[in-house]
Amino acid sequence: MNENKEEMTFEESLKTLEQLVNELENGNLDLDEALERYERAIVLRDRCKKILDECDRKVQKMIETSEGMKKEDFTDD
Amino acid sequence: MAETVTVTQLNTRVRSVLSECRAVNDIWVAGEMSNLKKYPSGHYYFTLKDNSSEIRGVMFKQSRARIDFEPQDNMKVTAFGRVDLYVERGSYQFVVETMQRSGVGDLYLAYDALKRKLESEGLFDSSRKRSLPRYPRVIGVVTSPTGAVIHDIITTSRRRFPADILLYPAQVQGDGAAESIVRGIKALNREKVDVLIVGRGGGSIEDLWAFNEEMVARAIAASEVPVISAVGHETDFTIADLVADVRAPTPTGAAELALRDRTELIKHLDTDMIRLNRSLSNILKRMHYRFGILESKLTPRRAEQKILMHSIRLDELYSRMNSALSDRIETMRRRFIRIDSNMDIHVRTMIGNGKKDLLRYSERLESVNPMRVLDRGYTLMTDAEGKPLTSSRQISAGSEINIILKDGRAEAEVRKVEMRK
Repeated sequence: MNENKEEMTFEESLKTLEQLVNELENGNLDLDEALERYERAIVLRDRCKKILDECDRKVQKMIETSEGMKKEDFTDD
Repeated sequence: MAETVTVTQLNTRVRSVLSECRAVNDIWVAGEMSNLKKYPSGHYYFTLKDNSSEIRGVMFKQSRARIDFEPQDNMKVTAFGRVDLYVERGSYQFVVETMQRSGVGDLYLAYDALKRKLESEGLFDSSRKRSLPRYPRVIGVVTSPTGAVIHDIITTSRRRFPADILLYPAQVQGDGAAESIVRGIKALNREKVDVLIVGRGGGSIEDLWAFNEEMVARAIAASEVPVISAVGHETDFTIADLVADVRAPTPTGAAELALRDRTELIKHLDTDMIRLNRSLSNILKRMHYRFGILESKLTPRRAEQKILMHSIRLDELYSRMNSALSDRIETMRRRFIRIDSNMDIHVRTMIGNGKKDLLRYSERLESVNPMRVLDRGYTLMTDAEGKPLTSSRQISAGSEINIILKDGRAEAEVRKVEMRK
């Protein structure tokens, strides 16, 4: 699976993380393999946390213009 | 000679004629309400009219309990009552005992007919219901930009898994509402949102009517994106609710269905980390055990090589563990001091133990290094192929042997062999 940090969605990251945890728990890994998976797991965990901590999510609305549909920020007061 | 009466007598007689005339008593009259005035007394005064005529009407407070809706101007009604004359003014009016809203019955019939039709097409089948994406990146919302619906969705989403919200400001009641909702569903499908919420606040059956229109039902059914309906009413289902993949009772409920709880997800991640650390610690224990076995299998001949290899490997593992764990812990500690303080202690203790164990192992491995004994004046002898000599039986006069010293080696030839008894 593509593990490029910025490309992976939360779901993919979480799924891969789970897979790594399972491998570490069940697999017959040697220390090298275990550490490699551990490192990857930590990176994925950090990425998931980062997504969860994002608070600047966009709220936008669609508007009809002469050039078609556009988006603009929406504030709800 | 014609009788002469007073105005009052005349009006009183007309009143009495009217009250005895069955044609204008206990009848239903259909018309539209206008000029409705609600008095503090609780009586309602209004005008009932059709295309060409009108009549004044009154509904007294005690009759109002018989109706289950609030009359409004322009409302089409069918009123039951009698004609009465107001003697003082000589005007007559319709005294309403009870009334029904016209057209509502028609709406229910239309609702039932459409429901049966779509049901027979299988549009409500549970097999058609799609599951919602677990972690949507963008939620599309088709609703009024001013109502409580969008407000509730935005407020709720702040506590949940973070997602962008894209609103299509739709008209949700009145003429053109259905068309507007359909345009919204299509537009947000083109925007490739991950999930759609279509809804409005509660209201009368007419207010909600757009959500019972066939074109809205078909647009929901045709949506590529899973749809959550949130038409604000707890009991009655609109057709939109029946076609939608999931029905939410309220806009807040819709946002909660679309987005998972943030705190739960963080807990989940923390559990994963505990599992990770526990299994890494188990693997370290197993490695130690394996070193133990290995050590017992070491033969003097290959010991040097083995030990060298293992000590390099231990160094390597040691530095990898340091960089993999310590750096990581440092970063994690800085970033998530509050959430992870317990876990950090756990990991650091584990690494501390790991380091101690590794040190002990390298000492133990070092102690079996055969080269160490050479320091004390012993030598190691091998045959010409480098096979260690441990018995005088392995050599005889004339054999070529190698002698390994602490800091070098020598080749020699055996002159004589004596075996010890």
